Amino acid sequence: MAFAFEFFLRRLSQGVVIVVLVAFVIFTLLRVVPGDPIRIILGPMTPASVLEETARALGLRDPILVQFGRFMGEVATGDLGRSFIRGLQGGSAGGSQDVAGYSPESRASVAGLIATALPYSLQLAGLGVAFALLVAFPIGIAAGLRAGRWPDRLGLYASSFFVSLPNIWVAVVLIFLLSAKAGLLPAIGYQGFAYTIIPAMVLAIELSPVMIRAISVAVAANLGEAYYDAGIVRGLSRRTMVARHVLRNAAVPLLNLFGAQMIGMLLGGLFVVEYIFSYPGIGMLTISAVFQRDFPVIQAVAILASGVLVAINMLVDFASTMIDRRLKF
Amino acid sequence: MALGSPPVPRPEAPLMEVRGLSVAVQTASGPRPVLEGVSLTVAPRAVLGIIGESGSGKTVLSRALVNWIRPPLAVTAGTVRYGGEDLLALPEARMAALRGREIAYIGANPTSALDPTVPVGHQLVEKLCAVLPGTARRDARARVVATLDAVRIPSPAKRFEEYPFQFSGGMMQRALIVDALVSNPRLLIADNITQPLDVTVAAQILRLLRELQKEFATAVVFISSALGIVSEIADDVIVLDRGRVVEERPTGALLRSPEHAYTRELIAKVPRIWSGAARPPPPADTDVVLDVRDVERTYEVRDRSAIFATRRVRAVRGVSFTVRRGENFAIIGESGCGKSTLSRLLSCLEAPDRGQILFQGTDIATLGGRDLLALRRRFQLLLQDPYNAIAAHSAIGATIAEPLRIHGLVPRRHLRARVAEVMAEVGLAPALYDQLPAGLSAGQRQRVNIARALVLEPEMLILDETLSALDQVEQAKLLDLFERLQTRRGISYVYISHDLAMVRRVSARIAVMYLGRIVELSGNHALFARASHPYTRALLSAVPTVEDKPYPTATYLLEGEPPDPIDIPPGCSFRTRCPFAFGRCATDDPALLATGPDGVGRACHRDADDLPAVVPPAAGQGGGARQAEGAEAP
Repeated sequence: MAFAFEFFLRRLSQGVVIVVLVAFVIFTLLRVVPGDPIRIILGPMTPASVLEETARALGLRDPILVQFGRFMGEVATGDLGRSFIRGLQGGSAGGSQDVAGYSPESRASVAGLIATALPYSLQLAGLGVAFALLVAFPIGIAAGLRAGRWPDRLGLYASSFFVSLPNIWVAVVLIFLLSAKAGLLPAIGYQGFAYTIIPAMVLAIELSPVMIRAISVAVAANLGEAYYDAGIVRGLSRRTMVARHVLRNAAVPLLNLFGAQMIGMLLGGLFVVEYIFSYPGIGMLTISAVFQRDFPVIQAVAILASGVLVAINMLVDFASTMIDRRLKF
Repeated sequence: MALGSPPVPRPEAPLMEVRGLSVAVQTASGPRPVLEGVSLTVAPRAVLGIIGESGSGKTVLSRALVNWIRPPLAVTAGTVRYGGEDLLALPEARMAALRGREIAYIGANPTSALDPTVPVGHQLVEKLCAVLPGTARRDARARVVATLDAVRIPSPAKRFEEYPFQFSGGMMQRALIVDALVSNPRLLIADNITQPLDVTVAAQILRLLRELQKEFATAVVFISSALGIVSEIADDVIVLDRGRVVEERPTGALLRSPEHAYTRELIAKVPRIWSGAARPPPPADTDVVLDVRDVERTYEVRDRSAIFATRRVRAVRGVSFTVRRGENFAIIGESGCGKSTLSRLLSCLEAPDRGQILFQGTDIATLGGRDLLALRRRFQLLLQDPYNAIAAHSAIGATIAEPLRIHGLVPRRHLRARVAEVMAEVGLAPALYDQLPAGLSAGQRQRVNIARALVLEPEMLILDETLSALDQVEQAKLLDLFERLQTRRGISYVYISHDLAMVRRVSARIAVMYLGRIVELSGNHALFARASHPYTRALLSAVPTVEDKPYPTATYLLEGEPPDPIDIPPGCSFRTRCPFAFGRCATDDPALLATGPDGVGRACHRDADDLPAVVPPAAGQGGGARQAEGAEAP
C-alpha cells in the first residue's frame, strides 16, 4: 500500500511537470509560427482597427509567458479555451460572418468539442486493440512455444505480411469488400456501433505485427530461462509452467512495449483511420483543426495526448513492478 | 522434524541401475562423446557420490538419470533402469509422473531455479499440490511453512511471501531441498548443490541433506567437483574422467588407497591447508604503501513498505589496515561481507563516506583529473570474470596497448615491442597479438587482463577474486607468475578472495571480514594454526578438505546466515551466530585491538584462551569428524 501511494505520488508529480513542459512548447510554437491568429478568427475582410481591438481584448498582444500563464490557469479549471473556427453548434463558422464584432461566446468550447469526440475515439481504439490482441495472442504464443517450427514461421510471415500493408490501402480494400461488395458492415461516418468495426480492423492490422513479434520473442526467451526446465524437473507440467509462469514473466516486456510504442502507434493510427472513414473522433477533430488553423483545438489535443501517454506509462510501470518485484521504481 | 510420513521398508534390490550409458553432443564436425559406457548402481537409502573435474560429464550424467537430455546432446547407447523400466525409453507422460514425485532433482544454481516473479512459498505450494493431488491449499501452505521452519529458515511465515531474489543462495538451496523432499521421493539427484555457496553455508547444507536423507531414507546421487565435499557425505564414490568411470569404491577406501592414476591425481590436487608444506611468503619491507584508515561506505536503497523511506545498507564499517611494499595482503570473508565494496573503494571507483585511503601518503579520495589518472597507473584492479573484462571486437594486442595510449607512456613506434614484451612475460604467444579474444580459454583471457594491468608497471595490484573462476592447474601457474613479478618488480598484492586454500598459499598477512568489518587480522601461519576469533575458526572448520582439521566442524559449525547489513544487531555483529557469545557481546561492540607489532589483532570480547583448545592437526581424533561416517560404512 505504502509502495503504491509513494509510486503514484512520485509519478504523478513528474507527469504534471512533463505535461506542463509539453504544453508550453506547443503553446509557444503555435504563436511564433507565421500568421496572426486574429486574422483566422475574424477572417480576411476585417478592418485593421477591428483586428487590433479584438486582439487586445482577447489578450493576444500580451507577452507569450503571460498568455501561457493565463491559459494554464484556465486549463486548471477545466477550461481549454474556445475554438477559433467552430460555432456553438459544432459546424465551422468561418471568419467573415463576424465582421460586426467578435464575441468568443459564439464559438464552441474546446473542452466541449473534445468531450464529444473522445468517446468515439476510445471506442475505436479499444475495439482495435481488442482485435489486435485476439489475433496476436494465439499466433504469438504458439510461435514462442514452438520456436523454429511452423507456428514460429507462421507468426513471422503473418507479421511481415501485416506490417507491409499500408493502412490506407487496407482501409480502401476493406470498405470495398465488406461494405460495398458484401454489404455486411457500414463504413463511412458514424450512426451506430457497427460503424466502428471496419476502422477497428484496420487499426488492428497495423498494431498486430509488433505484438506478434514481441509476444513470441518474450515467450521463447522465458522458455529458455532456467526456471522453466527446473520447474518441469521439479514435477510441474508444461501446461502449468506456461500458463502460470512463462506468460506472467513475458507480460513485463509486453507491458513496456505497450506503454512505450503501441500508444504512439495507436494515436497516429487513429488520426489516419478516422480521417479515411470520416469517423467523428479526436483524430478527425484534430485533422480538420489543422487544416483550419484552429490553434486552441490543436494545442488542447496535443496536451491531452501527452497527458494520456504519461498516464498510460505510469499505469504500465506500476503493473510491471507489481508483476516483477525486482524492478526499481 | 515435521517432514512427511515415516519411511516404509523396501526390498534391497538396487533402486536405479545404469548400464553402458553413452551420450554424445552433436557438433558441426559430427557427434563427439560426452559420456562413454557409464555404469552405476544406486542402492536404496545409500548416498552415491560422483566426482569429476569440470568437463568430465558430471552434469550430463546427472541429467541423464532423470531423462533430461536435450539437443544438441543425445543418448547414443545404454539404459537407465528404475523400478523395472528403462527411463530413457519411457514416454514423456510417464516420465513426467516420476519427476518430482519419485525422483527429485536439485541443480547447482538455486537462485534461478524458481520463477523470479512469484513468492517462493507459493511456488512450493504449487509443486506440492501438483505432486499430491487433492491437497487443500490451506493444508499445503501450513505444511510448507512447517518444513521451511524445519530446515531452519528464520521467520518462515514471512519468508513464505518473499520472492526468490530476496533469498540468499543458501536459503534458496534449503527451500529447494524442501521442495525436492516434500513428495518423499525414493531417489534424489543433487548436482553440485553446494558449488555457488559459501563454505559455512555449504557445510550447513551438507549437514541438513545428510539428516534429511537419513530421516526420509531417500537414496541420494551426490555430484560434485570438490572431493572434500563428496567425501563428507557419500558412502561410495564414482570417479568420472572425461566421460568414463575410472574408479568406484567406498569413500574411505578411495581416499586411503586410490587405485587409478587419475584418482590419485585428483586427490593430490585438492589443496592442503594444514598438512601441506606451506612456504612462508617473502618478508615485506617496512615501507607502507597503502594505509586504509577507518573507512566506511553506506548505500541507500528505497524501502517499499514505507512512504519516502530509504534503508541504509552498511557495506563497509570502519575498516583499517596497512599494506607494505612487496607484501601479499589478503582479505577473506563470505559473500556479503563487504569485500567487493572494499575493492571498489581501494581502486578509487567509489569514494568512502568516512575515513581515508592513503596511497604512499596521498589521500586518493581527494584526487581528480590528471592526478587521479597518474595514480591509477600505479595501482591496477583485476576482477573475477575474465570474459566481460575484455572487449570482444578488439585485437588482443590493441587491448593490452590501450592503457599505454591513454597514459601516453610509450611512443607509438615502440608500442608493439612493449606489448610483446609484456605478453611474453605473462605467457601469451606473440602470434596472439593481432587475434581477437574469441577463442581464448578463461586462463588465457585472465592473462590478457594481467598483461593489460602490468603494461603500466603498477606498484600495487588489487586482485578481487581474480583467480576464482580458474581451475587449480591454471591458478597455480598464475600464482607462480605473480610471485616472479613480485621478486622482479617489488609489486604489492591485495588478494580479495573467499578461497582459503589459495590465501593460505600466497599471503603474508590476512584480514578476515564479517559484515563490513575486519574481525581478525593476523599473519598467515598464526591465522591458520591458532585462529583466535570464533568466526575465523568457523570459517576454517567449514573448508572442505581431505585432511584433518584443527577446528572440528561439530564445535564451530555456524547456524543461520549473516544478518542483513541493513539491520545490523547492536553489540558484536557476530554474536547472533557465535557459539561462544555471552552477556557483554549483546551490548558492547568489540573493536579490532592491535595486540601485535604488525597491526595484528582480533575483535572479540572472549579471551583467545577461553575458546576450545585447538586440536593439533597431527592428532587427528577430534578433527576426523568427516571420516566418522562413510569410511566405515558397510
